Amino acid sequence: MANREHDHPHDTEAHGGSEIPGYYDMLETAITELLIEKGLIEAQEIRRQIEVLDSRTPALGGKVVARAWVDAEFRARLLANGRAACEEFGVTFYDETLLIVLENTATVHNLIVCTLCSCYPRPVLGLPPDWYKASPYRARAVSEPRKVLAEFGTIIPDDVEIRVSDSTAAVRFLVLPRRPSGTEHYTEEQLAALVTRDAMIGVIPVSTPTMRASQ
Amino acid sequence: MNTNGIGALVVVPARGELPRYEAGIGVRVLVRSPIGHYRVPTYLRGKMGLIESVIEPRAVDNEEEGFGRNAGSRLHYYRVAFAMTEVWPLYQGSPKDGIRCEIYETWLERI
Amino acid sequence: MNESERLIKRLPNDIGGLPGPTIIQTDQPLEPWEKRCHALADVLDFRKILNTEEKRCGVEALGSEIISHLSYYERWIVAFSNILLRKQILTPTEIALKMAAVEARWTAGA
Repeated sequence: MANREHDHPHDTEAHGGSEIPGYYDMLETAITELLIEKGLIEAQEIRRQIEVLDSRTPALGGKVVARAWVDAEFRARLLANGRAACEEFGVTFYDETLLIVLENTATVHNLIVCTLCSCYPRPVLGLPPDWYKASPYRARAVSEPRKVLAEFGTIIPDDVEIRVSDSTAAVRFLVLPRRPSGTEHYTEEQLAALVTRDAMIGVIPVSTPTMRASQ
Repeated sequence: MNTNGIGALVVVPARGELPRYEAGIGVRVLVRSPIGHYRVPTYLRGKMGLIESVIEPRAVDNEEEGFGRNAGSRLHYYRVAFAMTEVWPLYQGSPKDGIRCEIYETWLERI
Repeated sequence: MNESERLIKRLPNDIGGLPGPTIIQTDQPLEPWEKRCHALADVLDFRKILNTEEKRCGVEALGSEIISHLSYYERWIVAFSNILLRKQILTPTEIALKMAAVEARWTAGA
């Protein structure tokens, strides 16, 4: 039994100190161990899924965006079917969500939110920031998007349409930001490095260090 | 379609199999108060919009999915476009601004 | 609509369009248990033991008081517990005894 007892996912994780874990931490341990003992899940599945989650970061989304900027046909495929294009690119989707990529243009600026919970394109961006999951953003993004964007330092002219996508079902969204000017000579890798998580949520544009320095 | 002298194929789709609505038409979000679970936010109930696209494939009603239904009875979701001024009469931003949301077929009516 | 109706007709998470304060732009990394909890959610969904929509529904069902006091992943793990109990996959006594055993490992090691 000793082996079974230690066959849980936090074997390989360092315990911070000798401080007793909090109630919910212990509840999570208890639930997981019970499910493993009953043969409903395996410790290895949890460990593997932690690795999956750790591998999903905004850098993946940044690479997808950079490819769309340099390759017009990939861009077209990405806009036609976001999930298929990401999978073709090497980003697997471990759940049953769909992906629609929303293109920012001279006349349309996209912003994504999940007012009801925290739906977010996790397979391609990783886990969402705290503010995306919290009430102020979820309540206000759909009713005062311009004020919300201003809090992030983003001012969109009135002749540009702001389009807020509120995810409530199986579709997830990724904003394809506009490529900043002055990047014509950048390599795809350099372009990808410019693309931030917040630009793919739609709260800020993509900028170059030069642009940021002159602000 | 095989029309080798034996006539056109007649294929009757099952109920709910084809999308009830199509892109470009005007729809209204219905007003009702489900108990237990829903995914149509209150702020959109009764609002009018245009269908931007039909989401494929068909899927389970997420209200029922919340209580454990994992398969069957699949209908379509629709990406619906709403003007901000339609949703918020006192909207302060640009009159061009809008909202998009995926709405299940059972929550829409043609206008 | 009186307060008792409103509590039932409007789910606690249904906040789109309600007034709200300035967005606090912090972003804390997940605690190890929170990441395990997220992985658990994904595994339970993959195994069709507890799907994502059931999780959302379970969090809503906690009610506004619990939701306002518990953090994001605390709400998840309590919701999972409730759903696994309702599905008769676990029992309250099993969870209680296992939690006591988990706690005992820590105090025994002190």
